[in-house]
Amino acid sequence: MTQQIELSGINKYYGAYHALRDINLSIPKGAFVALVGPSGCGKSTLLRSLAGLETISSGDLVIAGERMNDMPPRKRDLAMVFQSYALYPHMTVEQNLTYSLRIKGVKKAQAKKAAEEVAAITGLSDLLHRYPRELSGGQRQRVAMSRAIIRHPKAFLFDEPLSNLDAALRVHMRKEIRALHDRLGATSVYVTHDQVEAMTMADHVVIMRAGVIEQQGRPLDLYDRPANRFVAGFIGSPAMNFIPAKIGENGRSLVLDLPGTQMLDLDLALQPGREVLVGVRPEHLVIAPPDQLGFDVPIVAIESTGATTFVTTQTSPEIVFVQNGRSSLQAGHTVRLGFALENVHIFDAASEQRLSGD
Amino acid sequence: MSETARNRLMLMIALIMAAIYLFPLYWMYVTSLKSGSEMFANPPSFLPSSAQWQTFAFVWESRNLGRYLWNSTVIAFGSVALIAVLGTGCAYVLARYRNVWVDLGLFLILMLQVLPASLMVTPIFVGFTQVGLLDYPRLAVILAIAAKSMPFFVVLVRATFMAVPMELEEAALVDGNSRVGAFFNIVLPLARNGILVSAILIFMQAFGEFVYSKSMIQDVSLQPASVGLNSFMGPNTSEWNNIMAYATMYVTPILAIFVLLQRRIVSGLTSGALK
Amino acid sequence: MRRIIASVRDGRGFDFVLVGVPFAFLFALAGLPLIYNILMSFQEVDMFSLGSFIRPFVGIDNYVALFRQPETWPILTNTLIFVVGSIAGQFVIGFGLALFFWTSFPGASWLRGLFLVSWVMPGLVVGAIWNWILSGDFGVLNFFLRESGLITANIFWRSDPNFSLWAVVIANIWLGTSFNMILLSVGLSAIPGDLYEAADMDGANAWQRFWTITLPMMRSTIGAIIALGLIFTLQQFDLFAAITDGGPNNSSNVAQYWAWDLSFRQYDFGRGATISVIMTVFVMFAAAVYVRSTRHEVRG
Repeated sequence: MTQQIELSGINKYYGAYHALRDINLSIPKGAFVALVGPSGCGKSTLLRSLAGLETISSGDLVIAGERMNDMPPRKRDLAMVFQSYALYPHMTVEQNLTYSLRIKGVKKAQAKKAAEEVAAITGLSDLLHRYPRELSGGQRQRVAMSRAIIRHPKAFLFDEPLSNLDAALRVHMRKEIRALHDRLGATSVYVTHDQVEAMTMADHVVIMRAGVIEQQGRPLDLYDRPANRFVAGFIGSPAMNFIPAKIGENGRSLVLDLPGTQMLDLDLALQPGREVLVGVRPEHLVIAPPDQLGFDVPIVAIESTGATTFVTTQTSPEIVFVQNGRSSLQAGHTVRLGFALENVHIFDAASEQRLSGD
Repeated sequence: MSETARNRLMLMIALIMAAIYLFPLYWMYVTSLKSGSEMFANPPSFLPSSAQWQTFAFVWESRNLGRYLWNSTVIAFGSVALIAVLGTGCAYVLARYRNVWVDLGLFLILMLQVLPASLMVTPIFVGFTQVGLLDYPRLAVILAIAAKSMPFFVVLVRATFMAVPMELEEAALVDGNSRVGAFFNIVLPLARNGILVSAILIFMQAFGEFVYSKSMIQDVSLQPASVGLNSFMGPNTSEWNNIMAYATMYVTPILAIFVLLQRRIVSGLTSGALK
Repeated sequence: MRRIIASVRDGRGFDFVLVGVPFAFLFALAGLPLIYNILMSFQEVDMFSLGSFIRPFVGIDNYVALFRQPETWPILTNTLIFVVGSIAGQFVIGFGLALFFWTSFPGASWLRGLFLVSWVMPGLVVGAIWNWILSGDFGVLNFFLRESGLITANIFWRSDPNFSLWAVVIANIWLGTSFNMILLSVGLSAIPGDLYEAADMDGANAWQRFWTITLPMMRSTIGAIIALGLIFTLQQFDLFAAITDGGPNNSSNVAQYWAWDLSFRQYDFGRGATISVIMTVFVMFAAAVYVRSTRHEVRG
């Protein structure tokens, strides 16, 4: 498969601040890649470096086979959708759409036709002569998208394009952007801080923290096999529970650091006595019958959304688990929780790297 | 008290205060219409008994006011043009970045803004004499005013550029424009109003400029109206109706521009001066 | 060469050109004169040596001679009185007006803006008008004061050494009050309204709200305005030229007017430069205070 964008050994410094650390990333043609991480993780810096709005300090940036490190943005042939949309306020929708074509010297009639075609796709046909200030948030978002589409660029760059929309519209636009991507056969790089967006839209998710790529891969692979505690906690909602524990004498069992010695005899093969963190997702914790393997915990709070119920335990750290539908549990009860071995993630307590089942 | 009654009362008080505050302006207009004897009446009359409109024509002719105003206009336009061309780009760069160098540049700009013209005129005059610039006295004054007023312009216009989102320029770059193209196509049109208002403020300042003109322009035919007014007011003058007629013709255009564009000028001024 | 052109078109070069040219201009026409000024203050510069670059070096003679002149201390005192009197008047009246217009009513902001005409008028015209208003026998101010019983005999504002400085101060207060008021209004409107609601709930009366909320919240604005007032007051020249000409007998002379007078009336450029240097140091100090008080806003 041909690589549309290839980053190798990218570093970026702002003075002494190391904003991007040794980034390696290959984006095949037609892929939808999401860069996700908490704010300040470097995902936007990486995207802006791709666009040419920031210069990289070292490494190689190759777009469609051509080294682009020192190229100004206008020679990179990438289109970008900004978080604020960045619509030119002094131009109509049509002028906004055709701006890049006019710079290239495309004939007026041809540019107009292109604008009409794109507007038909994105449902803006009736709004071509309005100014951005006369549009709703969703409409502005579409203009920003259309302005990118009209160019048939080598890749689309999205910088948190949905964060200014309300929740319902956001869910809708998520699907629409992905559908557009498939329809255009485009290559997209999508920056977001919302892991749900990343998981649902992308073929390939890149999780970043403090300028480093913590893990990258297909969305469900990240969910199933997080490489470290950070990724495990970042992906999935509600977040994974982490329980401090020690590996038992036999190297097969877990001794949970919870009130009352709670030992779980599992089929592990780890160094006895090792300090670890046990990670279990709330949806993987089940109430076990008293005679089965599990650990007993008191309940402190019950929150129900109707479809699901979130139960919080009175332990330190607190543990959250999910039950479908209504729950008969009440605060003050004690329950026995259990989980299947394949749903347990074990991380080293010090390095926070994944230990179990490679 | 009801809301409307309160508003009406407040408005009345405000009008009275404005009337008191603007009385000197009114006094200028009234005096200019008075005859020579009415001017010295005791008690003074607050409405001219018969308006002496011919005073204006007389002063215009006898003081050669047309030539003075022309010189003021040349100097003001020259200064504004020079300041706008040089200052706009400077303000843009100082608004776009935030680092140590920009802070230093801003500090220097603010420092230069405060230097009194009456203190700077000595070295400028001597320096200009030595390089021969005083042979072109109006140009010399334009250069001196430009150096004096540009910092103020930069501070005001910088505030305007700060209000233009950086993403717009970046969008233009990604859309295929160069830095130069994006500056002229996107950033400048969006900052146009602020630049215009600041230019008008500078124009009004330069139109009334006195120290540099007085010190550097010896040739009467090249002097601006401020210097003309100064030489009109001898130590023991009694022609106050004529002087006020002169002043009226001098400031009325400025006041007209100000009243027309008042809202914009005030907001432009306040956004810059405190930021 | 091509790289430079490319940088100007697409890169940082563009910024350097935009900022480099104006700074070069400012250096040539403000930086160099400043330096030259210092140099001249150590030289003897008169009409004859004006055109030559080599002039007799006199060390600190100019400074010594200046402080031996009998008029120096009175003029510096006048400068202080002028600055303090002008700023106090402008600030107090401006604050009062700003507080009044703060109680919003229809037309408030337009009327408030109208006050600013005093500030946009050429200083010389303001001076001419006040010269006439303050005239001794026929001045309208004396008429008002007589009618209201405040004085019995006319005050000769311009020619009485006891009043000449105050004549300029009055004109300057009029000129600067509106600018103070506008800036103070901006500061007032920046105070969040819910602070007053909260103080109201806590039982503070209007007077207490002013002292405990308005003033503390306005502190940086007030600092900036006082510093700006100092800067503008030390720049004031036109009013002296139009009203008293520094007289009679230097009773209304201030340093910035005197510096010009020494150079351009007495053709002693060296001594004019000396006074300029001293005053420049003061102004720079005021400017530093101003920049400090607006620093957080400058950085935004």
